Amino acid sequence: MADNELILTDVTKRFGGLTAVDALSMKVSSGQIYGVIGPNGAGKTTVFNCITGIYKSEEGSVRWRGEEIRGMTPYQIVARGIVRTFQTIRLFSQMSVAENIMSGRHIKSSQGWWHGICPTPGSRRDEKENWMKVGELLEFFNLEEFAATPTMSLPYGLQRRVEMARALAVDPTLLILDEPAAGLNDNETAELVDTIFSIRQKGITVLLIEHDMELVMKVTDYLTVLNFGKKIAEGTPEEIQKNPLVIEAYLGSEDEDDE
Amino acid sequence: MKKLSLVSLLVFLVVMAILPHLLDTRWQTVAVTFLVFSVVALSQDIVLGKAGMFNMGQAMFFGMGAYVTAILNSHFGWPIVATVPVAIVAPVLLGIVLAAPIVHLRGDYLLVVTIGFNIVFVQVLINNLGGVTGGPNGIFGIDPLRLFGFELSSQVAIYYYAFAVLLLTLAIMINLDKSKVGRALHYLREDPLAAESIGINTRLYKIFAFGLGAGIAGLAGSVFATQYSAVSPEAFEFIQSVLFFSIVLVGGSSIPGVLIGVFVMFVLPEIFREFSTWRFFVFGFAMILTMILRPRGIWPATFGKIPKFLIKEPKNGG
Ligand SMILES: Nc1ncnc2c1ncn2[C@@H]1O[C@H](COP(=O)(O)OP(=O)(O)OP(=O)(O)O)[C@@H](O)[C@H]1O
Ligand SMILES: [Mg+2]
Repeated sequence: MADNELILTDVTKRFGGLTAVDALSMKVSSGQIYGVIGPNGAGKTTVFNCITGIYKSEEGSVRWRGEEIRGMTPYQIVARGIVRTFQTIRLFSQMSVAENIMSGRHIKSSQGWWHGICPTPGSRRDEKENWMKVGELLEFFNLEEFAATPTMSLPYGLQRRVEMARALAVDPTLLILDEPAAGLNDNETAELVDTIFSIRQKGITVLLIEHDMELVMKVTDYLTVLNFGKKIAEGTPEEIQKNPLVIEAYLGSEDEDDE
Repeated sequence: MKKLSLVSLLVFLVVMAILPHLLDTRWQTVAVTFLVFSVVALSQDIVLGKAGMFNMGQAMFFGMGAYVTAILNSHFGWPIVATVPVAIVAPVLLGIVLAAPIVHLRGDYLLVVTIGFNIVFVQVLINNLGGVTGGPNGIFGIDPLRLFGFELSSQVAIYYYAFAVLLLTLAIMINLDKSKVGRALHYLREDPLAAESIGINTRLYKIFAFGLGAGIAGLAGSVFATQYSAVSPEAFEFIQSVLFFSIVLVGGSSIPGVLIGVFVMFVLPEIFREFSTWRFFVFGFAMILTMILRPRGIWPATFGKIPKFLIKEPKNGG
């Protein structure tokens, strides 16, 4: 259990002259719901991109279960049980909800490339089993009636749910959510809170970025606060709420970009 | 829509199965050409339609299959049947080797590189590199196909040979859509970054698409060489690749769409032969109009190929 740890040490990512993430260290332990917060442009998404292999940090190390994953490709990192959602939803928009979720079963499927040319009884069974799993996720996320609907014709809130279902289809150990409540109404946000708790119930560690402070304070066990790429505080939600540095960072920007 | 596709596919297959007996020799030749070019267009659909890669060099793989059969038969005396596996495997290997360094390129760059490949290929043929391609005239006098002691040299026999190859290709296309690899191609076309982030090795599957497309086109090339018992470079020029590319886009990257596209591009011109100077003018405009009026093609590919048990009625009338 304790082995499912994500440890970032002095991770630095630069874009030209801009240091988007500056010597960030943090530790996500098994079973936690861990939050990363900070004003717009603080570098939160960039940190997630460095963990999931979309960017390679120039310096530092990203260790997952004791293994260095910095420099691996995104699909290699998914194969190790880390999967993510995007701040700007990225679904396969022309394809149906079920097909989108099925993409998460890709690495779990036992089919080889040759089965695409010539199926075998084994590959048909594998196909069936994975679609059954998709069925379970459709049910879990209450998406059954939209199974055959192309995701581009769904409202925002449902698209967010599909993206989470797709990520969970991977059977991840660590689920990374980039602003899962962005664009959701109050009802949907309340459902999201329940969903996050029930995901943790399944033994999945959750790492999330969120601007909705109410949600953050409700669900997270531990927080890291970024500003201008640097960590300015870490601690439990209660500690963070009282931290003067954090209050200052937020007062400086909250009003302009309260979305 | 699903029912309609299935019914039209069945009608198509039945008509195609009896067709040669209704036609004279000239039209039988046209029909074989339709079958062979359909196979090439479907192979192009795997690369362009499914995986979304702008490959403008499919005629090269088609030509390679044709030349492999021609060279092995006329220079090395191999029976035609024995050349077929090589006519598939050689383009597959070439496809993999050429695709590996270029699949990461953005659409427009990939397009230019594949055009370059096609041009180099035709130049190699014309300049008779290695002294086996026969230069600009190509290779004549290829043997007919012999199977189980029968000589399949009549147009009808070749028709059924080509028809069998088309059926095999259709089977592969249908299997692909119901498999992990086939879906992976759709995912990476829709959003490569999302595909990669959900665990798909996009590079590997792009190369797979190139290799599979090349192998099928190579097989079609082998049939083509057998049909005319001759091969020459101009049949595999880059302009042929442009036609296959257009067929997939105009057709809409579905099986019926691609078949209609091949019919419009290769069979209609034969039917309107009297108006020969006008026909390409008309087809050029038909292409332009289709893309403006139906940007997703004549018969667009549909998704939602999901098992029935997942499709549920909306709850409580909502
Ligand atoms: N690909 C990129 N190229 C150049 N600069 C980038 C790139 N990605 C991010 N940045 C910059 O890095 C900084 C951090 O961006 P990032 O997206 O990580 O912020 P964030 O904390 O996620 O903000 P938000 O809350 O708005 O999502 C910003 O100044 C941004 O402009
Ligand atoms: Mg962000």
